[in-house]
Amino acid sequence: MIWEVFRQEDEGDYHTHCGNVHAPDRDMALMFAEIQHGRRKPTNSLWVVPQPEIGEVDAEETNFGGTTDKSYRWAMTYNVDAAAQEVEDSQSEQEEADRERKSQQARGDD
Amino acid sequence: MATADGLPAPEAMDDEQREAVETLLFRLADDEFVAAERYTEWQVESPTLESDLALANIAQDELGHARLWYDLLEDFGYDEPDLVWERPADEWHQSTLTELPFGEGDWADLIVRTYLYDTAESIRLAALEESSSARIRDRIGKVSGEEDFHVQHARRWLERLAEEADSRERLQAALERLFPHALTLFEPVDEEIEARIDDLGVRTATLSEMRAEWLESVEPYLESQGLSLSEVPQDDEGPDGYALPDAVGRDQSHTDAWPDLVEAFTNTYRELGRDQATKIMRDPDEEEA
Repeated sequence: MIWEVFRQEDEGDYHTHCGNVHAPDRDMALMFAEIQHGRRKPTNSLWVVPQPEIGEVDAEETNFGGTTDKSYRWAMTYNVDAAAQEVEDSQSEQEEADRERKSQQARGDD
Repeated sequence: MATADGLPAPEAMDDEQREAVETLLFRLADDEFVAAERYTEWQVESPTLESDLALANIAQDELGHARLWYDLLEDFGYDEPDLVWERPADEWHQSTLTELPFGEGDWADLIVRTYLYDTAESIRLAALEESSSARIRDRIGKVSGEEDFHVQHARRWLERLAEEADSRERLQAALERLFPHALTLFEPVDEEIEARIDDLGVRTATLSEMRAEWLESVEPYLESQGLSLSEVPQDDEGPDGYALPDAVGRDQSHTDAWPDLVEAFTNTYRELGRDQATKIMRDPDEEEA
């Protein structure tokens, strides 16, 4: 059985997918994950998740974000001084996402 | 006798103190080094990639522990070639449990061996936490910190192998072969020196106390897994009625497999005509400073 492994570097961070291990059950999976994924990189916590339990929807099945223009969703055009660092970060994150979407469309990717 | 202040620094010890501390360190270091040397034989041969990595990691831990203990022996004037690369086979002190070759492809042997060994290891480290030797005491935390995983690894595997009749029989066969050798972990290098180690407070439990504690732990656990200790070799004269093997290791008597293993791990050193060991890591004392 395959267990997907998620690693958290520091307390409070998201657990990020980092690979998987073969193991017969959860305890063995945790033990193997500890060695395989927590040995070299800084690690605060690991999750193991049985692969069949993971649900997936992908771009072949759906249109993420819809197909019509909803650019009002992206708060990039207000031209006001950001009230806080978080707002500024959020704006630049959205600008980056916008660039990626456009370049993906330009490449003709789904 | 042990004093409240503990033992003096290595250079200030008298001959009797020095011999006691050295003997204890050789017991520790040789066990760890030789166990690791054997574990590495499983590299790329373990049942799965995951188990291969886990065992390689355990071997690296044990080598790291050996390195800490050999480094303390350097306090007494030894260097690495004296301690490892040029030491004659008949001057080593490891328990024969650590030096035995594995049965070919016998993963149950590895699991039973590490279970018996690491359970004993936890007990002997606990008996060093309050050692009268500050040098030993200060390193226990670092070593113990890696041992819980070893016991957990051995137990989890053992419990899963014990679930099925076929693999349980393999565990039982390994137990019958290995148990007498595991008892040598608690055999004396020399009765008088071992008594002195206890008197000086270098360790806070005697060999027979540690053996009793170990038996109290392994007997019920193994029975609970459907394994039988009444099938392991018995001897009325032996410790707690169990038989010891012919060679016990501690007194420098070893199994026939041992000289070949020494030959193997010193081969490159000799082939390259070395007379000293290449240093690729900082001395443990520098790391600690």
